[in-house]
Amino acid sequence: MTLLEARGVARSFGSRVALEPTDVALAAGEVVALVGPNGAGKSTLLALLAGSLEPTAGTVDRPERVGWVPQRAAHYGRLTALENLRLFAALERVPPARADRLAADFDLPEGTRASSLSVGNRQRLDVALALLAEPQVLLLDEPTSSLDPTQRERVWRIARSVAEGGGAVLVATHHWEELAGLADRTLELVEGRLA
Amino acid sequence: MRPVWLVLRKDVRTLLRTPALLAVLLAYPVMIAALLGLVAGYANAKPRVALVDEDGLPAHIVVGRHDFNVEATIKEVSRNVTLVRLGEDEAERELADGKVVAVLTVPPGFVATLQQMTKSPTLDVSVTRGGTSGRVRQQVQALVYTLNQKLQRAYIDANLQYVRLLLHGGDGTFLGENFNVIGLDGTKKILDALPQSERVKRIQRFVHDARLALAQTGDALHATAAPIQLVELPQRGRTASLSAQVQSYALGLTITFLSLVLAAGALAGERDENVLGRLARGLVPSGRLVAAKVALAGIVATVLGLGVAFAFAAVIVIGDAPGGEPWSRLPLLAAGLALTGAALGAVGALVGALAREARTASLVAVLLVLPIVFLGLIPPEVFAAAGWVSDGLPFAHGVRLFSATLYDLHPWGAVARETAWLLGLGALFSLLARSAVRPFRP
Repeated sequence: MTLLEARGVARSFGSRVALEPTDVALAAGEVVALVGPNGAGKSTLLALLAGSLEPTAGTVDRPERVGWVPQRAAHYGRLTALENLRLFAALERVPPARADRLAADFDLPEGTRASSLSVGNRQRLDVALALLAEPQVLLLDEPTSSLDPTQRERVWRIARSVAEGGGAVLVATHHWEELAGLADRTLELVEGRLA
Repeated sequence: MRPVWLVLRKDVRTLLRTPALLAVLLAYPVMIAALLGLVAGYANAKPRVALVDEDGLPAHIVVGRHDFNVEATIKEVSRNVTLVRLGEDEAERELADGKVVAVLTVPPGFVATLQQMTKSPTLDVSVTRGGTSGRVRQQVQALVYTLNQKLQRAYIDANLQYVRLLLHGGDGTFLGENFNVIGLDGTKKILDALPQSERVKRIQRFVHDARLALAQTGDALHATAAPIQLVELPQRGRTASLSAQVQSYALGLTITFLSLVLAAGALAGERDENVLGRLARGLVPSGRLVAAKVALAGIVATVLGLGVAFAFAAVIVIGDAPGGEPWSRLPLLAAGLALTGAALGAVGALVGALAREARTASLVAVLLVLPIVFLGLIPPEVFAAAGWVSDGLPFAHGVRLFSATLYDLHPWGAVARETAWLLGLGALFSLLARSAVRPFRP
């Protein structure tokens, strides 16, 4: 069953074309790796699929609950990790208990502003934020670039559990070898086009 | 409204966690208001006027038996200007350089003409060019007016002396010539001693009428010299620093700075934190994000504006200053502060939406504050275009709203008009800000 489908989706920033018209479909239960060099358009494609960015052309059919971890930290630095989770839980209309549980599960420090957390902890916070609404589709943009091996393993476990629960996961990464045993298939993006 | 409330609550919490920023936001406009007050005070300071004495004024001048100490008289009549004695060349150079705003020249023969009392002596004045010339001319005219008032009494006394001579007779001097007149009193005595005839009686009636008429000459001369007299009553009303206008401008300046900088920084901060993309996924549409920033500006403007108003009100009550009662209008003022803060916040949100980062947004907002305020301070009759531009910005409307709210006896007309302006401008700038919120860029 297809959970997310993009048809002819494209994006330009002024005169610069970031993504040529592209078709992508994610089916239930699969983990898909999205690889490509820097500037290939991976982050743009994920942002379009997540609904953070409006496409210049094409359409995206997505389920109600989509989790998205952007490449760069995306939370409020002056709030603590738990406050960030509770704020976005309220915005997503998720019970605050879910935010508390994710904070505990991800072992996020209490009482420390997010801006004072380590890069790894901030990345874990972003993953936790993406999981708040128990997403049907999880979009991960370089989610493990700042994590230690143990934390990386935890993120891959989470990705696998989302897929096993009937969801779909799309992971953009430079290190596709990490996904060798995890990804069901691989998409390669080069200069804004799927190879 | 839920997303607006959640983002607003987050912004307030964030703001309260940065007390240094809050202190700067409050202290900066207060400092600017104080500096503007000093500049305004300087504008009201005495202008420097050169006095060129080509006649060689003596230390004392006697006019109609009145002895004038020249230096003391100059000091007394030049209350609104600073008179400095300069030579002719030096005065011309300083006028050209703008070091003095006017040159008042006492021409040769001035004192002699004054003492002859047969025609008015002249003083020559040269005034600097430019916007202040009208004000300087008025102040020099006021100086001459005050001098004339002092001389007037001497002139009237001198004239009355001749009238008294006509009445009672005696020795007199006119244009250096000595003379003796018998006067109406002497004439009456002579007429009374003459054999009474119809012709003598007619002359006696004329002398009688003339004596009665001349007895009124003193009042008539005073009335002719000054048809209307200005009587200064004991001082009433507030000092300028506590006036309704100063309070309105202080409030306007404070919340203009706060609202613009806060809303601009807060909206641009969402992009800096990289959360714009997360919010844009249907959680907080850009219109609601702008609404949250506008609400933040309105709330902070209300709280801090009321703080400023309370400080003024306390000084007024403690100092027992006369005038309007400020406390009863505070609720209406709070509504005005919220509305003005929100409208200014919408302008700030537009700046924040257009800027690429929070630092740029804050800097641009700070740079915008003074032009917006100064445009609102320029009287439209001085520069009409400034008034038109200012009408398109919330500051001037806010100031008028505060002034009406605080002290107008019947404020509702002004309140309704300025409220409509502020609502319109707030909506316009909010819409512009919403359309200017740039999409998330990965």
